[in-house]
Amino acid sequence: MGFVRSIKKINKQRRPLHHPHLDAEHEPLLASLALNLSKIRQTMGQSSDLIVREILLRQDPLVIQAAIVYMDGLADVKAVQDFILPSLMQHRHSLPSSLLQIADLINEIKQMSLTVANLREITDFTGLFESILSGGTVILLDGAAIGLAVNTEGWEDRNVEESTSQTVVRGPKEGFTENLRTNTALIRRRIKDPRLWLETRTMGQMTKTSVALMYIRELANEKVIEEVRIRLDRVRIDGILESGYVEELIQDETFTPFPTVFNSERPDAVAGGLLEGRIAILVDGTPFVLLVPALFTQFFQSPEDYYQRADISTLIRMLRFFSFFIALLGPSLYIAITTFHQQMIPTTLLISLAAQREGIPFPAFVEAFMMELTFEILREAGTRMPRNVGQALSIVGALVIGQSAVEAGIISAAMVIVVSITAIASFVLPSYNFAISVRILRFLFMGLAASFGLFGIMLGMLAMVLHLSSLRSFGVPYLSPFAPLNYMGQKDSMFRFPHWSLLTRPRLISQINVIREETPPAQKPNRRET
Amino acid sequence: MLRKLGFHLILFTLLFSLVGCWSRKELNDLAIAMGMAIDKAEQGYKVTVQVVNPSEIALKQASTMRSPVSVHSETGETLFEAIRKITKVSPRKMYFAHLRILVLSEEVARDGISKVLDFISREPEFRTDFYLTVAKDQPAGNVLKTLTIIEKIPANKLYLSLETSEKTWAPTVALQLDELVSNILSDGINPVITGIEVIGDKSVGQTRKNVETVAPTRLKYTSVAVFKKDKLVGWLNEEESKGYNYIMGNVKSTVGHVNCPQGGNVLMEVIRTKSDIKASVTEDHPRINVHLAVEENVAEANCSIDLLNPDTIDHLQTKAEKIIKSFMEQAIRKTQTEYQADIFGFGEAVRRENPDVWKKLRNNWSAVFAELPVDIQVDVKIRRVGTTNQSLQKEMQE
Repeated sequence: MGFVRSIKKINKQRRPLHHPHLDAEHEPLLASLALNLSKIRQTMGQSSDLIVREILLRQDPLVIQAAIVYMDGLADVKAVQDFILPSLMQHRHSLPSSLLQIADLINEIKQMSLTVANLREITDFTGLFESILSGGTVILLDGAAIGLAVNTEGWEDRNVEESTSQTVVRGPKEGFTENLRTNTALIRRRIKDPRLWLETRTMGQMTKTSVALMYIRELANEKVIEEVRIRLDRVRIDGILESGYVEELIQDETFTPFPTVFNSERPDAVAGGLLEGRIAILVDGTPFVLLVPALFTQFFQSPEDYYQRADISTLIRMLRFFSFFIALLGPSLYIAITTFHQQMIPTTLLISLAAQREGIPFPAFVEAFMMELTFEILREAGTRMPRNVGQALSIVGALVIGQSAVEAGIISAAMVIVVSITAIASFVLPSYNFAISVRILRFLFMGLAASFGLFGIMLGMLAMVLHLSSLRSFGVPYLSPFAPLNYMGQKDSMFRFPHWSLLTRPRLISQINVIREETPPAQKPNRRET
Repeated sequence: MLRKLGFHLILFTLLFSLVGCWSRKELNDLAIAMGMAIDKAEQGYKVTVQVVNPSEIALKQASTMRSPVSVHSETGETLFEAIRKITKVSPRKMYFAHLRILVLSEEVARDGISKVLDFISREPEFRTDFYLTVAKDQPAGNVLKTLTIIEKIPANKLYLSLETSEKTWAPTVALQLDELVSNILSDGINPVITGIEVIGDKSVGQTRKNVETVAPTRLKYTSVAVFKKDKLVGWLNEEESKGYNYIMGNVKSTVGHVNCPQGGNVLMEVIRTKSDIKASVTEDHPRINVHLAVEENVAEANCSIDLLNPDTIDHLQTKAEKIIKSFMEQAIRKTQTEYQADIFGFGEAVRRENPDVWKKLRNNWSAVFAELPVDIQVDVKIRRVGTTNQSLQKEMQE
């Protein structure tokens, strides 16, 4: 892996991003309102959505010029009109007129007049811009070098809707939205415990995206939390538009097809992860929440496994593992067996396959490669195209990939079956990004099968298992609880034991507080107290 | 740095082209050989191979009127040479892993089959799960040239009918290569191979006409060929073959009849047999004791006997015992007197009983076997009489 190391070296040499103009804003507010406003207008470049409303506060004996500043569309105009403007304009000071100072007035407004919940003082332009650009309203008074920032966030948001990427038959239908606060609320509604802690930070020099760390104190491993904090702090990037940015910047290993960070659109899945001692990373602006540490088996699990009966879930999990191998090895096994190991095929099947291959111009590998490629193209087109042309594509796709290719004698019918079952099997995997890695590896295995037969597939599998066991996700071996083998961990990996028997949390994830308090052994049904 | 990375990638990709897909064969480059026949030629062997025509067999609308198989033959001084020579007439390379049946001509068998078997057991492409048979009274190649109806591939027909007849009609022996080789190599047992015949007009059998008629030229298993080591020495007839299989415990199911006292007969179906060959040695003189337990059902009663009477059942049992015993005795007598070939594995029984005595006898075992006293005990039990009680004839009388 010499070249991987060399790429890392290149990355290390890259200089940290530097934004001189951002530092220039880091200056205090001035006492003059006019200067402050002109500075704001100048920095924002006369943007038309910047609203500056100038008002006069008649406070006997003073007449103070004031202004409220907010961004149209980000701030809730109704809140500004209903609460901020009236309370400012109708305020009458209670202090003796002769003693009136500007600072006292601000305090009075703050303490007695403004009927809003979330309010803070700002003293510099950085804070001012941060506040108005995230939907706040800033009140500036002439003669005071402080502003009052009121939280008036009120932009249009998507409602909480059913998650589209991870669907269940039984289970909550709610999915996360793009709003960080909604998302944290969705999780808090599931875990009503004061030990559910939330750490928020801003990431991205330009986007200033809020990124929240969520974990249950006393369950999550403190070392892992610290590691996540360190990795997040290390990130220097100008923009974070989706949690994928964060995922890529904090994951353990870049050069692997396997994801080492789990993502979910479902609050119940994230809550489940938190209860196992994992750490959630929520990024504002995306419904996809990250969960770390992520293990290999986790990508085979759907939240529904815990809502269905244990026996059904176990069978379905096994089905997923089986489908994983079909999706990974289907075409390559077909290639290997039909071109190298014909003696392994039962005679009648062999004759039938041979009959189908009569007159096919390509070797099995080329045939399989063409079909897989066609399918990948169809799938990608299906994901990207506008919804209303979908039908046309599926008709053409079904014709190309199926009947016509066989009837034209270019592809054998058996190959169509193999490619179809492979494609369907890859959709069984509940995690989309894991399914992608299977797609990539499938082509690798096809190449190996075409060159070395089953021997090549075996070599490939060995290499894959070696690679998997070398992976770690935030210090936890990726293949646990299989390697290193953990007896208790088997209860919730390939199998799903009944809830009363899942007494412990995954050992390597939550190294403290391993016993699940909510399931004492006595709660096993049918067990009578004697 | 990137250049170095690219260099590694190119090297890695070239690795794939270097292997050249060694030993790769596409399915449509194979001639799947299902049957092989070996005859004697003037010099060496004549090998006949039956190759399937997959598109004629597998496709549902197979109406091209082409033959489902094609047969190629070629002569060569050795077997392998002859097989490779076949590529002169066949467009594709022979693929033997799916061989179902190997037909040896009587001539080859009499000459000794070990010369043939060495290649077949050495070549990795041959599996050991095909059956062997000896063509009786005709060239082995002819057997493969006969078309069959229900099973489109004649070799498959041979395979399946040997398997079925062994299961339901005792006189055939379905023998696979590994068993044959171990029997040849063992001192205490000699192999047998079932014989096969072409019944009817052989020239018609080779054309498509054969599958258009209801009573075509057929392939039929006959009796069993007795080998001494690897050389064929003679044949057993059907009753003797049956006796052989009884002794060996090969009988899974068969039918046989006993005569009634007042004429007519009762047919009985054997449903289970268990044979036990034991040797006893007194002062270097071995003695063999064969015990056979048979369970039977009454399948047909074509005379007026009272099947509800326990005495009748006893009577039938004794009669059946006698008949089965006579089959077994015939088989033993013939192999002892005519062939001196121990096909029953009595030598093995002696070795198990007393290895020291066996060491003394093994070099002279054929002679000892010819004089070997064999006690046979048959124990028949009738279990069921079927869904009716009395025979129709008996009920008519009443």
